[in-house]
Amino acid sequence: MLSRSAERLYWLARYLERTENTARLIKVTMNLIYDLPYGTEVGWHNLLTICGVETAFNDCGKSPNEQNITHFLVADQNNSNSLLSSLAFARENIRTSRELMPDEAWEQVNEMYLYAINNLDNLSNRRGRVVFLQEILRGCQRFTGFIAGAMSRNDSHRFICVGRNIERADMTTRIMDFGTVLLAENRSLIAREYEGILWLNVLKSLNASLMFRKQGRQGMQGKDVLSFLLGNPDFPSSVNYCLQEIAYCIAGLPNSTALLEPLNALDQALLAFKMDETTPLQLHEILDGLQTDFNTLHSHIAQTWFFNNLTE
Amino acid sequence: MATSTIWANYQADKAYDEMINSQGNARSLCSTLAQYLQTLNTDALKGRRSAAEAAILEMGITFTVYSEKGNIDRAWPFDIIPRLIEFQEWKKIEAGLTQRLKALNCFINDVYNEQLIIKDGLLPADLIESSSNFRRECIGMRPKFGSWANICGSDLVRAGDGEMYVLEDNLRVPSGVSYMMENRAITKRVFPELLQNLNVMPVDAYPAQLFEMLTSLAPNPDNHPQIAVLTPGIYNSAYFEHAFLAQRMGATLVEGNDLVVKEDDCVYMRTIKGLEKVDVIYRRIDDLFLDPEVFHKDSVLGVKGLMRAWKAGNVALANAPGAGVADDKVIYAYVPQMIKYYLNEEPILPNVPTYLCSDPEQLAYVLAHLPELVVKPANESGGYGMLVGPHASKKDIQQFHKLIQDNPRNYIAQPTLALSTCPTLCDDHLEARHIDLRPFILQGEHSFVTAGGLTRVALRAGSLIVNSSQGGGSKDTWIIHTEQ
Repeated sequence: MLSRSAERLYWLARYLERTENTARLIKVTMNLIYDLPYGTEVGWHNLLTICGVETAFNDCGKSPNEQNITHFLVADQNNSNSLLSSLAFARENIRTSRELMPDEAWEQVNEMYLYAINNLDNLSNRRGRVVFLQEILRGCQRFTGFIAGAMSRNDSHRFICVGRNIERADMTTRIMDFGTVLLAENRSLIAREYEGILWLNVLKSLNASLMFRKQGRQGMQGKDVLSFLLGNPDFPSSVNYCLQEIAYCIAGLPNSTALLEPLNALDQALLAFKMDETTPLQLHEILDGLQTDFNTLHSHIAQTWFFNNLTE
Repeated sequence: MATSTIWANYQADKAYDEMINSQGNARSLCSTLAQYLQTLNTDALKGRRSAAEAAILEMGITFTVYSEKGNIDRAWPFDIIPRLIEFQEWKKIEAGLTQRLKALNCFINDVYNEQLIIKDGLLPADLIESSSNFRRECIGMRPKFGSWANICGSDLVRAGDGEMYVLEDNLRVPSGVSYMMENRAITKRVFPELLQNLNVMPVDAYPAQLFEMLTSLAPNPDNHPQIAVLTPGIYNSAYFEHAFLAQRMGATLVEGNDLVVKEDDCVYMRTIKGLEKVDVIYRRIDDLFLDPEVFHKDSVLGVKGLMRAWKAGNVALANAPGAGVADDKVIYAYVPQMIKYYLNEEPILPNVPTYLCSDPEQLAYVLAHLPELVVKPANESGGYGMLVGPHASKKDIQQFHKLIQDNPRNYIAQPTLALSTCPTLCDDHLEARHIDLRPFILQGEHSFVTAGGLTRVALRAGSLIVNSSQGGGSKDTWIIHTEQ
C-alpha cells in the first residue's frame, strides 16, 4: 500500500473519531448542565479545555455562553478542531482514498457531511442541536459498523484502527484530566454534593457508564472511574485497551519492530500505576505525559510509514 | 402521442429524434419507454428527477470545473430520460469502432517506424511533422501487440439522415466511462421497473475488461503485474473517474510523487514496505507532463525517468506516449483510407465530411462558407476553440477567418450536422435536445467495446455543444435486445 494512502486512512480515522467524540461530548454536557444548579465550577468552558481550544475561542472575543461555545465547537470552520472541520477533513481524506475502501464507506462519510452542511441552521436552538448531534453520532457509528463488517483486516484496516485508537486514547486522557478538577481538594460544596452525577457524565461522555457498572459492581467513586478509564483491559475507550489495539495493529505492519518497544514500555507504565496513591495534581501531570507520549507515537508512525524514502 | 402534459409542445421535427418519428409517434424501439412515460404526470417525473439528484450527491458523483474562483466540484449533470439504441444497429457500430481503432493503431505504429503510408503517397509527410502530438522520442518504439492507443473514446453523432457518423477519435486520455457506469447505477434507482421490463445490456463489464487489457500489456503478464492508475491529482477535472477506475479494478491510484525510476530503469512506488515495482501504468496525464527529463522540464505531475523505463520495456504505459498523433482532426480525415490501406477492409462507420484547411482549394471553400460550417482546431479537446457557424456572431466569424488564414494546418471544417435529438426533462416537461454518444474501445491483446457509451446532451435549447465543461449533461444509454 502507498505511503500516501496509509497517511490518508490514518487521518480519516482520526478525524472521524474526533467528530464522534465532539458530538458525544456536547450532547452529554447539554444533559449534564440541565441537572446542575447555577454556580458550579463545571460548565461549557470545560469543553473548550477538553478540546484544547480555549485560547482559540478567547481570541475570537465572544462571550463564553452556551450558544457561542457550541457554535464554535460544532460549526465554526475557522476552528480547525470543530466538528464540521473534522468532518470536512475526514471527507477529503476518504475522497482521496476511494480505491482502498468499498463504495459505501465513502457514501457514509459523504452523506454525513452533506447532512451537516445542510442543517447548520438547526444548531441555533437546543432541540435542533440534539437532533443534529444524534444524526452525526449515528453516521459515525454506521461507518464504524460498516468497516467492521466489510473490510478485510489488511494494512488499510490497520492504519484506520491505529488512527482511531490514538485519537480515542487522547480524548480519554483529556476527559480524565477534566476529572482531576472534580477531585481537587478545594472543589466547591455544590461539586461535592453533585459528585455522583458528575462522574456519571464523565463516563457517559465516553459511552462507559454501563460497562463501568457491570465490571466492578461498584458505586460511582471518582478514583474508581478514573482507574477504569485508564487501565481497564476490556473497555474500548480505556487508554489501556486503545494501546493494546494500537500494538496489535502495528505488529501486523511491515518494519514495525522499532515501535513495539516504546509501546510496550507505555503499557507497563500504565499497569504499574496506582490511582489510590496519586494526588489530583500528580494525575494531571501523568495525563499530560501520556498526551506527549501519543504525540511521540504519532511521529514514529509518520516516520516509519508515511514519509519513508521520500527524499530519493 | 401528445396527450400527456409532459409531452405538450414536444417538437421532434428539427432533427432526427431518437424516440419520436416525423409523424409524432414513438419509434417501435421506444414504445415501451414512451408508454411508460405517459403514465407519469409532472409531479411523478419531477420526483424521479429529485431522486436522481439526491443519489448523485450521496454517491458523490462530481466533476471539477476550472473557474476564476478556483476549482469547484460540481454534481454530475444527468438527465433521467434514457437514450435507446437497437442491438442489431449496435453490433454494426461495435464492429465499426473495433475496425477503426485497429486501423488507427496500425497507423501510429507505422508513423513511428517504417512510415509506409507516407512512402506509398497516401498521406503527406508534413502532416506528421507538423502535428503537435507527434513525439520524436517515440520513433522506433513497438509497444506490445502494436497497440499504442489502448483506450479510445470515439464521438458518434446521428445526422438528419438517421446514419451514425464518427465525429472524432479521442486517443490521448479520454474520460467519461465512469459516468457511463454511474448513470446506469442512478437509473437502476430511478426507473427500476423499466429496466426490468426491457432487455437492456449491462455496462458493468468495463473495469474487468480494462484490467485484463492492462494486464496483457505487462512485460510479464502471468506474474500478477502491479497496475497503477496515474492521476494528476484531486484538482484534475476527471479525478473522480481516476479514483473510480482504480477502485473498480483493485489497482493503485498514484500521483507523480508516489513513483520513482531507479538506476535500473524500472518504475517503483513508495509503499509502507518500501519501494515496490510497477509493471503497468494507466496514465491519465498528457504526454508533455509525463516525464520532466524528456518533456516539460517543470512538470511536477509526472515522473522523472518514466520514458527511459518505458523505452527499456520495463513498464507499459497506456496509452503509449505519442499515440495522440492520430488524435488530430486533420489525420481524422484520412481514417477511411487508413482502414482500406492497413486492413484491406471497407470502413463500416462513415466519417463526417471534412475540409482540410491545409489544402488551398478546400481552404478557399471553407473561408467562403464559414457561416454554415463548424470549424475546429486540429488538436484541442473538450469543445474549446470551436466555431459553430450558424450560431456565431459576425465578429466571431471574422476572427476565425483570420485564425484560419494565419495557421491553416491547425483547422478543419465540417458541415453543421443536425445532431439527433432526444426527449430531455426541462423543468416539468420534455423537450428535444441534441445529443452525441461516446463509446469506449479497448485494444490490447484483444479488443472490447462498451455496451453503448456515454450519451452527452446539450442542455440549452438548440445548442450543439455537449461537453460537460460547457453546460452539457448526460443520459443513460440503453442497448436493447428486441428479439425474444
